[in-house]
Amino acid sequence: MIVQTQTVTFDTELRLQSGATLGPITVAYETYGTLNEDHSNAILICHAWSGDAHVAGRHSPDDPKSGWWDEAVGPGKAFDTDKYFVVCSNVIGGCSGSTGPASINPQTGNPYGLSFPIVTIADMVEVQRWLMDYLGLAQWLTVVGGSMGGMQALQWAVSYPERMRSTMVLAATASLSPQSIALSEVARQAIYADPNWNHGDYYDKTPPNAGLAVARMIGHITFLSDESMRAKFGRRLTNEKYGYSFDTEFEVEGYLRYRGNAFTKRFDANAFLYLSKSMDYFDLSYGQPSLASAFKHITDTHFLVVSYTSDWLYPSRQSKELVRALLQNGINVTYVEIESNYGHDAFLLEVERLAELTHDFLSRFTTPAHPSNGRAAQTKLPTDLAMNI
Amino acid sequence: MSQSQTLKSETQRDSVSRSGRLDLEAIVEIIPTGARVLDLGCGDGTLLGQLVQRKQVVARGVELSEMNVRACIARGLSVRQGNIEEGLADYLDTAFEYVILSQTLAFLDKPEPVVQEMLRVGKHAVISFENTSYWKERWRAARGGGAGYELCSGEPRMRAITLRQFNEFCDCCHARIERAMFLNNERHIHILPTLRAHIAVYVLTK
Repeated sequence: MIVQTQTVTFDTELRLQSGATLGPITVAYETYGTLNEDHSNAILICHAWSGDAHVAGRHSPDDPKSGWWDEAVGPGKAFDTDKYFVVCSNVIGGCSGSTGPASINPQTGNPYGLSFPIVTIADMVEVQRWLMDYLGLAQWLTVVGGSMGGMQALQWAVSYPERMRSTMVLAATASLSPQSIALSEVARQAIYADPNWNHGDYYDKTPPNAGLAVARMIGHITFLSDESMRAKFGRRLTNEKYGYSFDTEFEVEGYLRYRGNAFTKRFDANAFLYLSKSMDYFDLSYGQPSLASAFKHITDTHFLVVSYTSDWLYPSRQSKELVRALLQNGINVTYVEIESNYGHDAFLLEVERLAELTHDFLSRFTTPAHPSNGRAAQTKLPTDLAMNI
Repeated sequence: MSQSQTLKSETQRDSVSRSGRLDLEAIVEIIPTGARVLDLGCGDGTLLGQLVQRKQVVARGVELSEMNVRACIARGLSVRQGNIEEGLADYLDTAFEYVILSQTLAFLDKPEPVVQEMLRVGKHAVISFENTSYWKERWRAARGGGAGYELCSGEPRMRAITLRQFNEFCDCCHARIERAMFLNNERHIHILPTLRAHIAVYVLTK
């Protein structure tokens, strides 16, 4: 599957959640498959922290690398591009084609750097909604995402429930835990501590790669689990014996260093900072009396919430809290906790079970004779709004 | 999920297959068309699937095992993975017309609060169980088989429930029995149910 990243620039200014404004805004996106006649087969995939619009396929026949979720998106795969029209766009604040801190500020002619405003998950979703309108789509069949992508999917359901029939929220949370904020802060401190960072002003100099690499290493630890680390590396050494030095001796060290360094070749340190902040601020109950009241306007959107047993970054406990808040609104929710040793990474790796779940969950909308495609599927359970406060 | 919970869920399924889902037809008959229904310990969604197809109910389920939840999703059902106690707390008062507990009562650690919750979130509770005073069960117990399951099977403790005990239990739950059906090989038993009923299906209300 050969795909091209496309871009669109919106000349309007976006009023951000913080009150600041940003514009013009460029969005990088890719599409796969064909939109059907009644526009009922469009799926939005929201990417996670380090992802981009290139979710699947290759950019050219000799492109060595396929998209970040190639296992799940394509003909006959979980998100079957023979059946669905799949859209994925790069978030604002990132560094893979959409407007972010490395973009040129039209007012100064220089990269934004730290003059780029703080963007939130809701701001990212707002821009995705602009793209949706630009593509002429009225309603998504589903909005799906894992991790930070799951936060966007949730935000979509809160901001625009009428523009989506369903959402699939994988390994995500309705509000970032203090433990996750703490880990984000340590990662940011690693970047701040790199003298090359220079308060975000490094675009014509050496970038803060050492800091960014450490920040990414912290991320990689949180994506794995105790079990998956033992299985993947154990205490194995790169040499036969202990070297009694500070060289890379354990395989797990080598893995982290490799991953950290590789990341600096494709990611901007400031973008890393901005995206980490957008997640720290993510809390659907912010400004609400409760999490449940954040969902009070949702009527017909079906939710599939998936957590993974060994995910300690966004543990099942958080998904259960989310499910509880949805149920308190009588929303149609399905929750499944997948047994997996892969930690947070499981949402990318447990592709077989995801394929089955996706197929089965989306069948209720695509099979006309399906038992739950009638009244049963559409009806929201009665709720007493006073109890949601 | 604790191991004992997993075991319990598996035993629930075994129990259902063992008695050949005798209560399924009876429950489908009880539930009115278009009702809002919650099935606690819904297994692979067989009963809910039937209720959706034949009675066009608004169906929700709670189920402990991942495999069963996935089977429910394949039937197009909306099911929440979790244990029954957790599964009930989040629903508002009378969110459902019927809350079903099919052949699961015997495995609950604390049945009374569960039934109280069923009657809070639903107008009616439908509870089915194997009658331990059924003559075959008595015969098995008398021959040293004991009530419930064999020790060697490794299955967790199961409560032995007789019809008389259940009637007393309804009193202590302050529940009113609206209807009681006694089944043996899908036949309804009217005479001497205490001895002759294999499965009992009760409809309770507050």
